[in-house]
Amino acid sequence: MAVSDLRGFIAALERSGDLVRIKREVDWDMEVGAISRRAYEKAGPALLFEKIKDYPPGYSILNGPVGTWRRVAVALGLPPETSVRQLYAAYEEKHERKLSPVTVDTAPCQEIVMAGPEVDVYQLPAPMVHDGDGGRYIGTWDIIVTRDPDTGWTNWGMYRFMIHTKNMLTGWPQATSQLAIMMKSKYLPRKQAMPVAVVIGCEPLCHMVATDPYKPGENEVEYAGGLRGEPVKLVRCKTQNLLVPADAEIVIEGEVLPDRIALEGPFGEYPGYRSGTMGEGVLVQITGITHRKNPILTLSTLGVPPDDSSIAASLTAAIAMKRGLRRRGVPVKDVYVPPEGVTHLIVVSVERGGSRVARQVLDFFTARRVMVSKVIVVDRDVDAFDMNQVLHAFATKCHPGRGIALEHYEGRGNALTPCYSADERRRLKGTSAVFDATWPEDWEEEGVPIKSSFETTYPDWLKEKVLAHWESDGLGGRL
Amino acid sequence: MKREYVTFVRRLSSLDEGVQTLFIKDLTPGPRKYDTKLVRAQLAREPESLSQGDLLWIRSETGYLHPKAWGIRVLEELPPHVPGQPWQDVFASLKNLK
Ligand SMILES: Cc1cc2nc3c(=O)[nH]c(=O)nc-3n(C[C@H](O)[C@H](O)[C@H](O)COP(=O)(O)O)c2cc1C
Repeated sequence: MAVSDLRGFIAALERSGDLVRIKREVDWDMEVGAISRRAYEKAGPALLFEKIKDYPPGYSILNGPVGTWRRVAVALGLPPETSVRQLYAAYEEKHERKLSPVTVDTAPCQEIVMAGPEVDVYQLPAPMVHDGDGGRYIGTWDIIVTRDPDTGWTNWGMYRFMIHTKNMLTGWPQATSQLAIMMKSKYLPRKQAMPVAVVIGCEPLCHMVATDPYKPGENEVEYAGGLRGEPVKLVRCKTQNLLVPADAEIVIEGEVLPDRIALEGPFGEYPGYRSGTMGEGVLVQITGITHRKNPILTLSTLGVPPDDSSIAASLTAAIAMKRGLRRRGVPVKDVYVPPEGVTHLIVVSVERGGSRVARQVLDFFTARRVMVSKVIVVDRDVDAFDMNQVLHAFATKCHPGRGIALEHYEGRGNALTPCYSADERRRLKGTSAVFDATWPEDWEEEGVPIKSSFETTYPDWLKEKVLAHWESDGLGGRL
Repeated sequence: MKREYVTFVRRLSSLDEGVQTLFIKDLTPGPRKYDTKLVRAQLAREPESLSQGDLLWIRSETGYLHPKAWGIRVLEELPPHVPGQPWQDVFASLKNLK
């Protein structure tokens, strides 16, 4: 079974050798970010910074909870060396067993309470993550909780939030996010502020679920319970009518204002660039802050892959995409989101290929908000998780003249795609391409090129003979 | 000692000299570094040309730091927000304040 809080997860990481404690004093102003970034780029461990300049002893920052596949495995309660394919399968399987949350009256996340005029977010060690960011980002690996005032449905999303003043945050849930849809459809027409909670420092599965693009009406907390194999405990906020994970480290309670805005961004983002999203976010008036004694702030120092976004969130995105493609009748076998492609490049393997299926795939990825700009579709004999095989299929089977289809759109594109111009980003204008690396459906079988590989070229009796002699031929273990 | 601030603009060319309303972040070291203020301030391209002025660093929307700081003299601190609905352009709202 997975763990129920961040402290349990830190202990599990320590046991598996995937955590390093930084005991010397480090500066929240870029030093934490610089160490964290280098650690990701060296495929290093999660880092627990135990002594933060300007902050009381005991206040700490955890960077990179799930920035490697090993840490994802630990989060799922699996052996650290579990393969990527097995991690995908485990996530897909476990999260279907939904478990309802339980509500509690007292909670660790409310050991310390600041409300009203006492609110001072500078009492928490929010880092200046990258040089050149718009400010100190307190919400980088968070869960943003909002509630539909009519149906009571609660949405969880992971969106960046920055300190504006001691009692205000600015944030950037994209204009196409569920938070934005809820604010625009339910609160703005009534000129009402929207209650919001910025939850920081749960065990990672709750956060991963928040990155998963569920449809409105689906309760993310139940999926998180299913993944954990244990219900999530929820507690009511002190100053807002919202339920939040009771075992969180920190909860910032407030309201998204309907009629006031302030500067947000820019921020070094998940595609690996700071490409210029700024000044078009939301403003939150903080009404209360609650936290555990000696709070641990979770951080994801986003940038070039790998990091928590390109590893863990790629997994959640892939499973969601597979669900969606199946719903649309695409004969999908596997979906793989390679970390190096930062959810801009997706690999889809299909049971039956051809241009019609490739088009269906493109239509799925561009139907609503579009986060993906390139999709490679491969036949079922290509292992979607093996980029060597994918690249080989792409190089040889995708016809440069006929095998690439494009879809252009405006108002629902990804504002963070670095190759878009500033004007395109602002207008959410973009293009997605599907690269059809499958054989055309109308080719006769006798004319389809035959792959020259050990597996596909030789008769079974000969393959068996080769394998039977492999060790005694002196090839075992080395190849 | 001059205080130091930073402001963000979409393009350097969109920042004008004279009296402007803008968001600035306080670069004074300590636990409140980067706190935001909305101010009415006198801006000058050459810091020396502003008596009793402070330094204003300027970054673009990608966070690119322009190598030369301007001068700033804060005339008035305003409540730290501008009118507008979520996701509207803060810079358009700032322009409308004038
Ligand atoms: C580390 C990390 C940071 C993210 N930051 C943002 C963000 O600032 N704004 C945003 O709209 N989406 C962000 N996302 C993506 C959303 O979490 C994702 O789209 C999720 O589905 C949003 O929830 P929703 O579908 O309920 O809107 C981030 C994802 C990760 C992994």
